[in-house]
Amino acid sequence: MDLPKAWEAALVDLKTWARINSPWAIHFNSGSCNGCDIEILATLTPRYDLERLGIKLQGSPRHADVLICTGPVTRQARERLIRTYEQMPDPKFVVAVGSCGITGGAFEGCYNVANGVDKVIPVDVYIPGCPPRPEAIIFGVSQLLQSLQPPKKAKNRNAIVTNPITGSTPKKGVGE
Amino acid sequence: MSENMKSILSLLIFPGGLAVMAAGMIYEYIDRKLVARFQNRVGPRWFQPLADFIKLLAKEEVIPEGIHPVLFQWLPVVAIAGALTSALYVPMFGVEPAFHFTGDLVVTIYLLSILTLCTGLAGANVANRFSIIGATRTLTQLFSYEAPFLLALFGPAIAAGSWDIAVIEQYATSHPWLMVFQPIGFLVALIGLMGKLELPPFDAPEAETEIVSGALTEYSGRGYALFRLGRSVELVIGLTLVAAFYLGGVANPLLFLAKTLGLLLIIAALQSLFARLRIDQTVGLWWRSGAVLVLLQLLVLIALKYFGVAI
Ligand code: SF4
Repeated sequence: MDLPKAWEAALVDLKTWARINSPWAIHFNSGSCNGCDIEILATLTPRYDLERLGIKLQGSPRHADVLICTGPVTRQARERLIRTYEQMPDPKFVVAVGSCGITGGAFEGCYNVANGVDKVIPVDVYIPGCPPRPEAIIFGVSQLLQSLQPPKKAKNRNAIVTNPITGSTPKKGVGE
Repeated sequence: MSENMKSILSLLIFPGGLAVMAAGMIYEYIDRKLVARFQNRVGPRWFQPLADFIKLLAKEEVIPEGIHPVLFQWLPVVAIAGALTSALYVPMFGVEPAFHFTGDLVVTIYLLSILTLCTGLAGANVANRFSIIGATRTLTQLFSYEAPFLLALFGPAIAAGSWDIAVIEQYATSHPWLMVFQPIGFLVALIGLMGKLELPPFDAPEAETEIVSGALTEYSGRGYALFRLGRSVELVIGLTLVAAFYLGGVANPLLFLAKTLGLLLIIAALQSLFARLRIDQTVGLWWRSGAVLVLLQLLVLIALKYFGVAI
């Protein structure tokens, strides 16, 4: 279908808006020590309440937009991680949580690990920490969502100082 | 306005079509917000269901291998069509039903079941073990709550002496609340509605902690969006039906809002109170207590009617 330019732009804006406001997540443990996973689960509890940002944990990779991945990716988990990633429909994003997910962390150099999620699948956001606090995880996800904003709206794209809990600044951010 | 124009308007805009979809999203939001508040959370923002819907529409639709592609793509459409069609026979928003004929109660109840049936078929269509288990559970649950729910809605119909939803609603409006005289029917209808919508504690068919997402595991994008919207639409229609039958009718929009939102509050409280039932517990609950009790009440009603006692 051919739409006028303005309509098409509006449609793209609408899609971006919906994407930013409704990121559904799936959680994958690629061989972490479980510390990060406990923190992710803590993030999903009522104490931090991710539903106010539209984030929902989904069971099926087919429903998810964001793959939250922990651990250094062991050889056993490698194939599964790739398969889970490929089962997700486009557009999809990956968040690597914890030092292990970034470089291998405590397990770096072990004979059985791939030393980080980005050695296996492309990663959009890294959240450091061993394990990162729930606040840090929320901050990381909100960074990811801000990076989806069209450039004209995200003015301070590289210097986001949103408080992930109150979302006070900037006003237009997703952390509201 | 010509008759055709009027039919098309009521089909597509109000009270069917767009208006029902918008109401479905709003009610879904209220439901989620209430549950969140009961769990001491902040809860979603007001546009959350809309954002979810648009996002799902804009996503890639993965069509898995080993399925019937036509069925895969059209089952969601049929499901939502069924749900939207049933809105035409129900006094939505407190206005008269768009169409009515004798027996439309039965037709409406079957139209409302199409969504569940389609969900079950959609799950059985794909070669995914989680979907198939989900489909089995969906259909099992359909068989367990459908009969009690139907019987619970027949109570007011017998009292009013008509199978026409509009007539029953008028009867309910002009008489004291039927909920008082038929408390069992009211309870069964309300809980049956929760079973129909697969809300907790009856969410075994889509238990995400056991079987991924049940029958809809393989659906992404458009199909999933339509199934979700269909369920929200059914939530509004179901609430309207129960309010119209048991809570003294929905004569005007204000009453409609007050009564359906009151019911929604009860449903949200029940959702956050109870943990998920196993599928055999669900079936047991419905057939051992629900169906028997409501059948008993129905027999009493028929007997009273037969002996000419005013009810
Ligand atoms: S980053 Fe630390 S807490 Fe997380 S998986 Fe690695 S070792 Fe465990």
